[in-house]
Amino acid sequence: MKLSESAQDGVVVVQPQGRIDNTSVKEFGDRLAQVGGTAPYRVVIDSQETSYINSAVFRALLIARKQIEKAQGRLVLCAMPAEIMRLFEIAAVTDAFVICHNRDEGIAEARA
Amino acid sequence: MKRPQNLVYGLDDKPPAVIVALNGLQHCAVVSINLVIVVFVARAAGGSVQVVADVLAVAMLVLSIGTMLQTARVGPVGSGFMCPATFSATYLSPSLLAAQVGGFPLAYGMTVFGGVLEAVVAPFLNRLRAVFPTEVSGLVIFMVGVSSGVAGLRTVLGPGAAPVSGAEWVVGALTLGSMAAFNIWGSAIARMLCALIGLVVGYVAAGIAGLFDPQTVVAMAGAPIFGLPHLSHLGWSIDVTLIPPFAIASLAAAMKAAGTITMCQRMNDADWVRPEMDSIRRGVLADGLSTIVSGALGAFGTNTSTPAVGLAAATGVTSRVVAFMVAAIFFATAFLPKVAAFIAGMPRPVIVAALLFAMSFIITNGLQTMTSRLLDVRRTLVLGLSIFAGVSVEAFPVIAHSAPRALAPIMGSSLVLSAVIGFALNLLFRLGVRKTVSLTIRSETHDHQVLEDFFRKQGGMWGARPDVIDRALFGVIQLVDAVAENCWRGGPMTVTASFDEFNLDVRLSYEGTLLEFPDRRPSDHDIQESEDGVRRLAGFMLRRNADRVRSDIKDGISRVHFHFDH
Repeated sequence: MKLSESAQDGVVVVQPQGRIDNTSVKEFGDRLAQVGGTAPYRVVIDSQETSYINSAVFRALLIARKQIEKAQGRLVLCAMPAEIMRLFEIAAVTDAFVICHNRDEGIAEARA
Repeated sequence: MKRPQNLVYGLDDKPPAVIVALNGLQHCAVVSINLVIVVFVARAAGGSVQVVADVLAVAMLVLSIGTMLQTARVGPVGSGFMCPATFSATYLSPSLLAAQVGGFPLAYGMTVFGGVLEAVVAPFLNRLRAVFPTEVSGLVIFMVGVSSGVAGLRTVLGPGAAPVSGAEWVVGALTLGSMAAFNIWGSAIARMLCALIGLVVGYVAAGIAGLFDPQTVVAMAGAPIFGLPHLSHLGWSIDVTLIPPFAIASLAAAMKAAGTITMCQRMNDADWVRPEMDSIRRGVLADGLSTIVSGALGAFGTNTSTPAVGLAAATGVTSRVVAFMVAAIFFATAFLPKVAAFIAGMPRPVIVAALLFAMSFIITNGLQTMTSRLLDVRRTLVLGLSIFAGVSVEAFPVIAHSAPRALAPIMGSSLVLSAVIGFALNLLFRLGVRKTVSLTIRSETHDHQVLEDFFRKQGGMWGARPDVIDRALFGVIQLVDAVAENCWRGGPMTVTASFDEFNLDVRLSYEGTLLEFPDRRPSDHDIQESEDGVRRLAGFMLRRNADRVRSDIKDGISRVHFHFDH
């Protein structure tokens, strides 16, 4: 997995590329904890380049959501490929997150 | 069934009357485009403008009954979804042949046969895939488009056709051009109604160019405002030589209905994971009955309307009350003879332009269905050679004329020849494909890429659907990830995959404790706070990912079996 990060309109955009599995989920979770624990507490995860996630990734996402919401911030997921969306559906967590079609919508939602 | 958030009015909702009426009218507009097929076949049977108008009146009655059969769940019939009936391009080519050979009685009789066959195969739909795999279904859809499009062109360019005038070329170009322009550059609503807008443009242009048959004007003027459909054209006969093309059209209609009902399932259920066979069987049975009713009353083969279902997805209104409104509108229109006479007089260039427009989408649909499978060399040859066979019948009609009489039903139709060769080559080329393969991986060195390469390569050789291979691959990788953390004591893990047309079974065995596969998701709190929560989430996902999961432990070896319907 490769992780890139950028700031746009007061929102931090995290873009994981490739597979997030047992070997990389800790790095992913640590990075989310870092950006989620720092102002402006508005984070978008752009998944367009993500090819695989496992159950441990949902744990990292749920922890990040809890941390960000505690600081009155907002976590938004966007640009999910169909296969990643399917994994959210079979994990029954689609209602637990705000999910947008693309990055622009995601940033607008995070700023709302 | 969980209601998706994007639906404005779901399946069981009762929208306000205005919404129901407007949506009903929109669906009728979308469905009505296929009345072109009725006009085309009725003219091929030699019907005058008045007779074609009578057939159209019956056709609207059939659409009303077909939509009701599909939507209202009565006994074992009907999917219960908002899925209007329409006249099907699938039956166009065989119906044209029947109309030319034996007039209306043969077209009606063979339509009843097609409907009966579809109703009979509905309960066995799943088993049918052995001889009708996805890519061969795509081939049939593709050839339906090619054969029907060519049939349309023959009416203007064929040796027996009246010469095309300059005015006809202009009207045809305007009709087709406006359909394409509204479809490509129009607003969302214009895109949905582009074919109807194109027909209106075509009618206006034909009127200006003076292309209306004087009989049409007389028929329209003479038609009463209200009246019962006339059944003077009614009669039934059967010709055994036409059984192959109608059988293939019927099977293709069953497959298409199954696909459309699957779309309805997805639209109405946020938790949709895979096709639910009960409503598909009920829906295909309703579709077959609708075609039987059509042939019995004096019209042609029907099918579920995929564009109408697409319209429901776009508007977010899938309430079945809207389908009842559609049925009511068509029922009322059946008793308005002026409307039928107006459609019956559709000028030749308008009808051909509409056919070419519609067949372009059918051809693309066929291509997409064919390529939805992983295509290895075997399947590439099955598809390529079958298409060549079908196209050769259209390009060199002498093949059919010089064929032995017994083979005439097969050699005389590009659709039938292509499908038969597709079936035969599919069965032949599957000889020698290994059905069970194994792979051994080790806990300390396991690499996801090895698993991915293994499943992709085998999937291609088997011709398995990519989505099923993706699910199996996710299941194996997720299991390996989950057990590697806590359950796997070391040693090799054996992955065995077995495949046939209906099933993909993946068995994994490893030394260690069993992973739990709960049927309820652990709470957010459990997932966040404990490793056990994450492990149970993995098991929960794996249970939902596969169609069936079984696991046991014997002599310290844990065994997990994932089953995927194919």
